[in-house]
Amino acid sequence: MTTIQLAASALAVSLGYYLGANLGLILRFPPATPSVMWPPNAILTATLLLTPPRRWWIFLLAALPAHLVAELGVLGSWPLVLGLFATNCSEALIAAVLIRRFSDAPGRFDTLQRVVAFVVGGGILAPFLSSFLDAGVVAAFRGESYGAVWRARFFSNVLTELTLVPAVAICVTAAPAWFRRASWRRQAEALLLGVMLLGFGIVLFTSSGLAAIPGLPRSPLAFLLPLLLWAAVRFGPGGANLGLLLTVLVAIWAVTHGHGPFGDLPARESIPALQVLLSVMAIPLMCLAALIEERQRAEQALAERLRFEELLSRLSAAFVHLPSHEMDQAFETWLERLGESLSLTRLMLLRVAENGHDGQSVTIAHRWNAPGAPAPPASSAAALSNGADWHRLLRDEPVPTPGRSDLVIPLVAGGRILGGLILDAVGVSQRAAASRLPELRLVAEVFAGALARKETEDALRASEVMKSAILISLNTGVAVLDRDGRIIAVNDGWIRLTHDEGAMIDAGVDDNYLHMCRARADEGVPAAGDALAGTEEVLARARASFALEYVAGAPPAERWFAMAVFPLNRPEGGAVVSQSDVTERRRAEAEAQRHRQELAHFTRVSAMGELTASLAHELSQPLSGILTNAQAAQRFLNKTPPALGELRDILADIVDDNKRAGEVIHGLRDLLRKRELSREPLELNELIRDVVRLLGSDAVIRNVTCTLELHPAPLVVIGDRAQLQQVVLNLVLNAMEAMVDCNAADRTIVVRTGMELDAIHVAVQDAGPGLAEGAEQRIFEPFYTTKPAGMGMGLSIARSIVHAHGGLIWATRNPERGATFHLALPATTSVPA
Amino acid sequence: MKGAATVFIVDDDPSIRRSLERLVRADGYRVQTFVSAREFLERADMKKPDCLVVDVRMPGQSGLDLQQVLETAGSTIPIIFITGHADGPLAEQALRAGAVELLAKPFDGEVLLDAVRRAIDQRS
Repeated sequence: MTTIQLAASALAVSLGYYLGANLGLILRFPPATPSVMWPPNAILTATLLLTPPRRWWIFLLAALPAHLVAELGVLGSWPLVLGLFATNCSEALIAAVLIRRFSDAPGRFDTLQRVVAFVVGGGILAPFLSSFLDAGVVAAFRGESYGAVWRARFFSNVLTELTLVPAVAICVTAAPAWFRRASWRRQAEALLLGVMLLGFGIVLFTSSGLAAIPGLPRSPLAFLLPLLLWAAVRFGPGGANLGLLLTVLVAIWAVTHGHGPFGDLPARESIPALQVLLSVMAIPLMCLAALIEERQRAEQALAERLRFEELLSRLSAAFVHLPSHEMDQAFETWLERLGESLSLTRLMLLRVAENGHDGQSVTIAHRWNAPGAPAPPASSAAALSNGADWHRLLRDEPVPTPGRSDLVIPLVAGGRILGGLILDAVGVSQRAAASRLPELRLVAEVFAGALARKETEDALRASEVMKSAILISLNTGVAVLDRDGRIIAVNDGWIRLTHDEGAMIDAGVDDNYLHMCRARADEGVPAAGDALAGTEEVLARARASFALEYVAGAPPAERWFAMAVFPLNRPEGGAVVSQSDVTERRRAEAEAQRHRQELAHFTRVSAMGELTASLAHELSQPLSGILTNAQAAQRFLNKTPPALGELRDILADIVDDNKRAGEVIHGLRDLLRKRELSREPLELNELIRDVVRLLGSDAVIRNVTCTLELHPAPLVVIGDRAQLQQVVLNLVLNAMEAMVDCNAADRTIVVRTGMELDAIHVAVQDAGPGLAEGAEQRIFEPFYTTKPAGMGMGLSIARSIVHAHGGLIWATRNPERGATFHLALPATTSVPA
Repeated sequence: MKGAATVFIVDDDPSIRRSLERLVRADGYRVQTFVSAREFLERADMKKPDCLVVDVRMPGQSGLDLQQVLETAGSTIPIIFITGHADGPLAEQALRAGAVELLAKPFDGEVLLDAVRRAIDQRS
């Protein structure tokens, strides 16, 4: 309240007091000092009820001049007048203190509790107590009867306090707003009610018509009761009190003009009765009005609550299934609805964003301003985003912004603050705004839930976008299958590989991969059958993964593809099929294989040089036999008679020797032939015997004894005869060469074969100087040699061949002397054809 | 007398052994064959040693080893070597040690019979 407002109020109080005092003085029935109705005390009481106690002295002082001016002229005596001022003030103070003590809103009379506090404290106790003082003052200075004065003043002041204090308070506080807001119908109704009260009152009090009907109550007040009830029911405490005041004024006017309220009773004597009657009527009427008001207000609150609940449920419904991308629009819409529905001027939604390493930042995501309301100062958001308010927001409690009626309600979900709801209710008291808090917390919960969901959905979508970007960028083809083999999704790589580059199967989304594999398998594509079986097993969780390499298309344009199937780890099952083009890799591998074969050929040819001597010997034996036999035959033919029996034996020997020479030549041709790896069942013992036989004469030349300790049962491997022969040949030749400097008696080679589990083991043991420490590994490296004329390729090629057969080759040092070379080859169960 | 002469043949190769036996027998000599030097030394009737045809390289004792053993024992039996390897140094060694002839397989039967004839003449 500004100083000017305060001064104006004080002046108004002073003026009201003066007018009230004059009215009271008019309504006296001298010689008694108390008036029928004494308004100044009520005016003071109402003032004290509506103003804070620290300002009371101002209004009491302001009333003093009015009191002196009004009463000095009439009563003359300074002490009496000052004494009466003191008693008047005491009554107002007692009333104000008591009412303030027991009423939660001293200036209002709209609940039963407030009315009772007012009636007991202000309407009864204050007049009761102050009247002792007043009677004392009057009795002392004017010599009137103490008891009579007390009684007259008490009844008079009870009536005045009861009727005038609420009327004054309501006129000052509520009436201006009522006149502004009420419809013209309500105003007309109020006017009609006033006129009727006034008119009926005057008619009833002044006419003697009532007496014409015998048995009727003699008091006209009884007939005004319906109008007063009308006022209470339709216009609440204000209407009831103003109606009462009007009735009191009419009654007093009538009495003071000689119209007794109780028929023939002299006016003077009927005054206390009138006062008591009016007071008694006023109390229940005020209580009734308060009750009706309370009831109406409760209904209103209930209706408002229901309206809010409906709003809230609509809000929840609107957000519960809202897709993330529509949420921003929904926030805008609902801020507006909430703001309008809760009569706010401004609502803002803050969002907390994670700022990488920087922590968090706050932005105003959405805002709503009531139409016509000023836009919020830009600084408020700035202050919030980096100031102390933000930290207060983090504390998870509503933050009242100093100096304004703003409230910041944090939006919390899952223990994390996602943002805040700021409501700015300019023109509404902070207390009123805070009363909205429970409702707004519910709104905040819905918003927080929606924000949390939006964050989750956005994150999910971002991850989806990333995943699909990765999938698109892959050269590998990827298809996702459901548990029945239906394709759910494919990437671009899959379409390119299967549709354009000939990979299996040219199937897209919604095709059944398994069915299409089966169809291709039925057409005679073996890889499709393998892919079908593998994929079915992965889908059935019978195996953890499946991989396959297959060729598509005809040479030279054939392409190789690698295919892998992995299970999809989700409750509903499924699998991921990936394919990539490995043609380049396969070609490189084939190239490397070809190089190895060429090298093997080269070493075979060079090994032939070493073998030439032995081969010459091998061939010279049968040739020599043939020639000698033939010449012997010529001699037998020349005899008479020819020795036919001898000739038959000779021819048989010639045929044998010829075959023997033929075998040597075949073996030579096999060794020289350069060819692809063939895969046929081979009996290893037989193969070793052949090789050792081939080297037999070489062994003789070198004076080496070669002993075979072969496994009794056939040892069958799948492989290339010539290449495996070459490996054995190489090992035996190496063994022979190793013993070149040994004593003749020590020159022994043992070749053993055996079966261990599903591997066939071949060992070639020599009695040479053995291997140098650590050379066991290096001897298999290309170009590693210990021989002066060696290429260092023999063992390296042997290793390539053994690896190509899925086997192993290694060397060990013998306990006594020499080295042993070992081969392990996978055994097969099939019997050679 | 041609019919009385005996030719000993030592070779580990059965085919060579049999074909030589036939050829020499067809020319009218008596023939005895042995698979190794050891068998020859154990079983051969050395009272009338006419001619020995022996393979140079054999498992166990070689032809040259046998030649040495016989020389040490004071035998004068003429020796014809046959070999699958045309080894210069080996031929030299054999001839220096008194061999009649060294023939590389395959050889002409006539040349062998010639050598046998010379050997028997040389002994007579």
